[in-house]
Amino acid sequence: MTTTAAPETGIATPAASAAPPPRRRRSALRRRNALIGWSFILPNFLGFGFLTLVPVLILFYMAFTNWNVFGKADWVGIANFQRLLGDGSFHTAFWNTLYYSALHIPLTIAVSLGLALLLNQKLRGVAFFRTAAFFPYITSIVAIAVVWNLLFSPDYGPINEVLRAIGIENPPGWLTSQEWAMPAVVIVSTWRDMGYYMILLLAGLQTVPRELYEAARVDGANAWQRFVNVTLPCLRPTMFFVTVMLTINSFKVFDLILVMTDGGPGQATLVLSQFIYRKGFEESQFGYASSAAVVLFLLCIVVTIIQFFWNKRRSV
Amino acid sequence: MKRKLAVVVGLAVVASLSLAACSSGDSATTEPSGPVTLSLSGWSLDTTPEFQVLADAFHEQNDDVTIELKEYDPAEYNTLVTADLAAGSGPDIITQKEVKYVTTFQEGGQLLDVSDIELPEGIGGASSYEVDGVQYGVPYRQDSWVLFYNKALFDQAGVAYPDGTWTWDDYDAAAADLTAGLGGAKGSYMHRWQSVVQGFANAQTGADILDGDYGYLEDYYDRVLSLQDSGAQVDFNTSSANSLTYQGEFGKQNAAMLPMGTWFTATLISQQASGEADDFEWGMAPIPQLDSSTTGTDETPVTFGDPTGFSINANIDDEKVAAAKEFLTFAASEEAAQLLAGIGITPALTNDAVVETYFAVDGAPTDELSAFAWSTHDTFPENPTSNKTAAVQGILGDLHTAVMSGSVDVKTAIAEAEDRVANEVGTD
Repeated sequence: MTTTAAPETGIATPAASAAPPPRRRRSALRRRNALIGWSFILPNFLGFGFLTLVPVLILFYMAFTNWNVFGKADWVGIANFQRLLGDGSFHTAFWNTLYYSALHIPLTIAVSLGLALLLNQKLRGVAFFRTAAFFPYITSIVAIAVVWNLLFSPDYGPINEVLRAIGIENPPGWLTSQEWAMPAVVIVSTWRDMGYYMILLLAGLQTVPRELYEAARVDGANAWQRFVNVTLPCLRPTMFFVTVMLTINSFKVFDLILVMTDGGPGQATLVLSQFIYRKGFEESQFGYASSAAVVLFLLCIVVTIIQFFWNKRRSV
Repeated sequence: MKRKLAVVVGLAVVASLSLAACSSGDSATTEPSGPVTLSLSGWSLDTTPEFQVLADAFHEQNDDVTIELKEYDPAEYNTLVTADLAAGSGPDIITQKEVKYVTTFQEGGQLLDVSDIELPEGIGGASSYEVDGVQYGVPYRQDSWVLFYNKALFDQAGVAYPDGTWTWDDYDAAAADLTAGLGGAKGSYMHRWQSVVQGFANAQTGADILDGDYGYLEDYYDRVLSLQDSGAQVDFNTSSANSLTYQGEFGKQNAAMLPMGTWFTATLISQQASGEADDFEWGMAPIPQLDSSTTGTDETPVTFGDPTGFSINANIDDEKVAAAKEFLTFAASEEAAQLLAGIGITPALTNDAVVETYFAVDGAPTDELSAFAWSTHDTFPENPTSNKTAAVQGILGDLHTAVMSGSVDVKTAIAEAEDRVANEVGTD
């Protein structure tokens, strides 16, 4: 017997002879993959960190100061929040935000879902209609505001012309009326957003298994029963996502109202984001504006947490 | 929106720097060791030539000082300048576009004391840059509100031109007669700005917007609302819905009379020359008065307007201070006034020679009443220099849209505004 066996696989290459044991090789591979992963997310994470996270953390600090852009930010404790409690404009903005959200969220869900159901059918030209429904979402907000302002014109606008034609003698004043300005904004906002949420719901609808509909049909379920007992339950994860996003976006509404009504007439459409903008950028009270921003943040977070709990309970 | 977002983010980031430390410049002046370059903030440089004209003229006299213009978006001018100043990269010379922001800059320690600059006698608007007896800027232009009128439309309607003796009652009567006589164009166009009602009310009743009592606005709003109701001028809601511009309404002869600031002169001349506005003969008259005590060319009509001025960045390099002060002195001088008048700008300093230069511009009106209206008036500041002004004006702006849209009656809106000012801002 020989004590040294000749290699059975022929000539060994230098690399093969220097190769680390399998465990070390796996570890190096894992490190390499991790680095590649980090290199993908790092640019976005850096952007998020420096341009969103850090300013947001500073905002929380500023909410307890009297900072006005220049100079030192003196700590004032909860004085800004106490001031918010007695500030009539803040109260108006707060309730207007809730009012806007209470109208906008259900209306947008209803319209988007209806549109998604309609465009989930096998219709001729459905791709065109899906694209057309998405157009408002990508249209310039200023153009939207100008056109809708014309449509809502109380005396000469086509909307009121139609309302008069069908027998309504005193149609709403829309953007010129304190009572109707917010509903008018909600209508435009819903029209603008419906395409985006329609796409999300459409994607959800297409994941509903066909077999469930067939089984329901076999069991004698009519269209409404199939919608309530098959479509809606299967759509719950998408609906949950849509509701959460819609709620947060409704609480944060700013641009459309700024260009359509600038918060008016009077304070009829003043919302929290615009209150924050006015206090910060028009009146240079950044500390005070930050405290209002914290309240808006808390409002968003509390409602979102409630939605998560509610969704979890329903899932159970 | 993206710009606003960028500004918000920018301010938030610089906030962290400002929280950590605050520096204040030493205003002591030292002699420059060589040529000096000063940056000067401006906006819409293509259509606002005044900055370049002043910079070039100053450089011509001072070879070793160059003024470089730093352009900002006019719509977000104050926000962007504020962000730059907070970040320590603000301009050396700050153009004060709106008086209501002067106290923000001053209280933030961004403005250099320029009380040692000797201003020429008779210059208007200097007090708008004074805080606690210290001068923080000098005015170089002072627009005041006058009445622009279309002579061709007056002739067509057979209505006598304004003669300088008008009160608001005369204005209302003329607006009604013009509307009836023109059969299409309106007698009056009052733009949607709150200034168009409140500015005159504040100036002509001697009111102080900071004292929280706004009962004096009632008569002025009643008058404008009745002009709307009678059809003598386009109503606020139609103007908003159609995004009407005052340049278009007057320039396209949709309205025969337009209360507006004197800055409109240069615009109108330029638009008539380019064909953007119709070619018609027009003039300026003193703005109608509350009563006859200030009417007539023997009296001084009362109007309002805010100056535009220059301040010096408090954090400027010491060796630049002397040159910057020289520029401010030049900008307030008669020489600069002549240059500004020559390009259709209303300088803060006016005298006979400046009036002559201004009205020698091709396309400017040539009648004596226009010269009187442009040069003779008691101009009250629209925005008092106070840290409460912006907040109070915001509340009065809400009052304006509520009343003019017809959604709230005048008395209720005034009561709400008084309540809000007392509770949210506090009164002096």
